[in-house]
This record gives sequence, structure tokens and C-alpha cells, in this order.
Amino acid sequence: MSASSLKRTQLLKIATSLVKTHGFTREALARSVLYLPNQKHVESKQDNEDCQPLSDTAVSSLFGFGDAARTTLIYAWLDEGINHMSNSSQPARNIFLGREPAFTWLSLQFDPLPALKHAHRIADEAAYLSMDTSRELAWYARRISLAGIYSAAELHQLTSPSTAHSFLDSLLTGSSSLEQKLDDVMLYSDYVYKSWKGILKSRGML
Amino acid sequence: MFASSTVTRGLSRCFNRRFLASQAYIRPTPNDAATSTTPSNITLEQHAALDSALRVDHAGEVAANWIYRGQHFVLGKQPDVGPLIQEMWDQEKKHLAVMDKMQIQHRIRPTILIEAAKIGGFGLGAVTALMGKEAAMACTEAVETVIGEHYDDQLKEMESFPSDHPSIPLLREVVKEFRDDELEHLDIAVINHAQRAPAHALLSTVVGMGCKVAIELCKRF
Repeated sequence: MSASSLKRTQLLKIATSLVKTHGFTREALARSVLYLPNQKHVESKQDNEDCQPLSDTAVSSLFGFGDAARTTLIYAWLDEGINHMSNSSQPARNIFLGREPAFTWLSLQFDPLPALKHAHRIADEAAYLSMDTSRELAWYARRISLAGIYSAAELHQLTSPSTAHSFLDSLLTGSSSLEQKLDDVMLYSDYVYKSWKGILKSRGML
Repeated sequence: MFASSTVTRGLSRCFNRRFLASQAYIRPTPNDAATSTTPSNITLEQHAALDSALRVDHAGEVAANWIYRGQHFVLGKQPDVGPLIQEMWDQEKKHLAVMDKMQIQHRIRPTILIEAAKIGGFGLGAVTALMGKEAAMACTEAVETVIGEHYDDQLKEMESFPSDHPSIPLLREVVKEFRDDELEHLDIAVINHAQRAPAHALLSTVVGMGCKVAIELCKRF
């Protein structure tokens, strides 16, 4: 990785921590340079005229023009969330809902595809962290179920943040119970099939 | 006919006594990074290549299992070819068990066409077995030819992967071992009169083309 792309990555990482105060804006990207490790943090021009936020042209050349820069910041914020899921000691479901997703959903509402991709990434990471060993089509079923639960919980949090955790818990419990019931039905069907196979064999019909 | 299959099985048992890379997955050591972690320092392109390669390998082993299941369904009770098919099928079951673990280890998306692979595999095995034991061997010969070449191509692609993570050299050894096993099945099929099958050239071409189409589909889906 070149020095300039490393710097860009560093600025993007710092900008994600400024989302809480500045939102998903070009200003957050511009102000990220003020928080580089070898820079003194500066709030106003009077303190140090040499340390200024990035100009609009610099933000555009580093992160993209217009809304492209905002999109870059949103994706970096989402990636940061997924990394946090993998590396944090907190239960993954606390992190599911601890990332103030309201800004993300509002930002992505005009294009559902990034939201769907993000939900899939969260579901895949959650399945990996829970040491899921599903194979074949069960792999897809598990992830679709987790992505649906995550999306529902995120939407619930927009309207009622205080009940989001209990809503997520109820969805996860319901999903496990449904999976258990389906497994029981499959097992019972298997017994019935084997019984009939044995009966037909004993009568010489097979 | 009996002597050739006996000699073949004897040779096969000798080969099985060599050190096998797949044993790392069959009898895993606890906390072995080579079998439980995936490299994080590979590029996105390399990760995509690894993802599609292992997805195809996994689907291929599922299909191979079901081909042998289909052949065994028809010819399993025949004393000359039944035990031979069973032995090759047992080896494919071992391949599939290893691929299942590698799919989870490297976080690979399995193909969504897995059920089609099972139905297609069983159908191919059963239909060629109904045509006769030579046709069943011709089917094995055609499939194992394509799979052997496919594993060879993968080994060439994997040469560019960084070897600092222990899972990558192990992956290469496992692919080499599986390639050698598939080529062994190819030899067994030829020794057991695959080339005497009716319309051998046509059968081999159709089965081979079908395998190549399946590989391309599984890479993407």
C-alpha cells in the first residue's frame, strides 16, 4: 500500500469517529486531518493558522466529488462497525444496535442495495462469530434469517430505540425456536419414511 | 478382469499409506492455525479466486459423491464392479468431509446449485450404470479427467498466494492429494474397460462438456 493511500485510510478512520458530532458530511472528512496523530488538535484558526481542515478540492480528490465522498464515509463507518463486531469482547448483539444506525438508514433509503449488502455482511460476520457450521442450503437459510432479524431490529430502533434490544432478543429467540421445530419435523419425517420403507421391504414390495 | 481390479486395489492401498495432507482435517490438532484460520493478508482478487475455487471444489465433491451413489444404486450388488465403486465412493466421502471443513474455515459461500449438483450427479451415475459397467467406468473416466485438469489449474493459480499463513501450503498439499486421487480413479476406470463402453467418444465428450459447464456455473453461483 502506498504512503498516500495509507494516509487516506487513516483520514477515513478518523472521520468515522467524527460521525457522532458532524454526521455523514464532507465536513467530517475535512476535519479529520486535524486529528492526525502528529498534529496538535486545533479548534479555531486563531490557535494555529498552519493546521486547517482539508479544502473542498482536497476532500473531492481524496474521497470523491459531491455525495460520493459521503458514500465513502458511510461505507467506512459500516466497515468499522463490522471490525468492531469481530474484535470487541461485548456480545455481538450489543454491537448490532450500538452503532447509531439511524444516519445510515436515512442516508441509504434511496438505494436499498447497499443496505441489503450491509445486512448480509453483518449476518455473515454474526454467523462466523457464533461458530456456525451450517452447510449447503442451510448456510443461506441461516444468513437470510440473521439479515432479516438485523434489518428488522435496525428499523425498529428508528422508531423506538429504548426497546430495540428486547425486540432483537425476541426475534433471535423466535428464530432459534423455529429452527428447532423445523429440525424436529425433518427428524419425524425421516422416521416415518424409514418405517414405511422397512414395512414395504418386509412385504417384498421393495 | 478380476486380477486387474485386485491389482488396482492393491496399488491403491499402497498409495494410501503415504503421508496425506488431508489427515490434518480428518484428525485435526486443537488450535492448529492451518486448519482453523484463514489468511487475512491476501488481496481482494486473491480472496475472490480462493472463494470461487473452493466453492467449485466443494460442489465437485458433492457431485462426485452422488455420481458414485447413483452407480452403486444400480451396480452395487455386482461382485466384480460393486466393491470397486464402493471403494472409490468412500474416497470421495473423505474428500467431501475435508471440503466441508475448508468451506467453513475459509468462510466460503457454498454454491446455491448444490441440490442441482446432487440430482445431476445421481442421474448421471445411475443412467451410465444402467447402460452397463463399461459405460459407468467411461463416465468415471470422463469426470475424473475434467476434475484432474481442474485441480491442476487451481494449483497453478494458488502459486501466487502468499505462503506465510500456514493454511495456504496445506491447501496446496490437499489439492495435490485430491488431484492424485482423482487421477487414480481415472486409471482404475481405464483399467476396468472404460474404453469398451458403447459410443465411448460421444459419452466422454458429453459428460466432459457437462462437467465444464457445471464448473463455470458453480464459480459464479
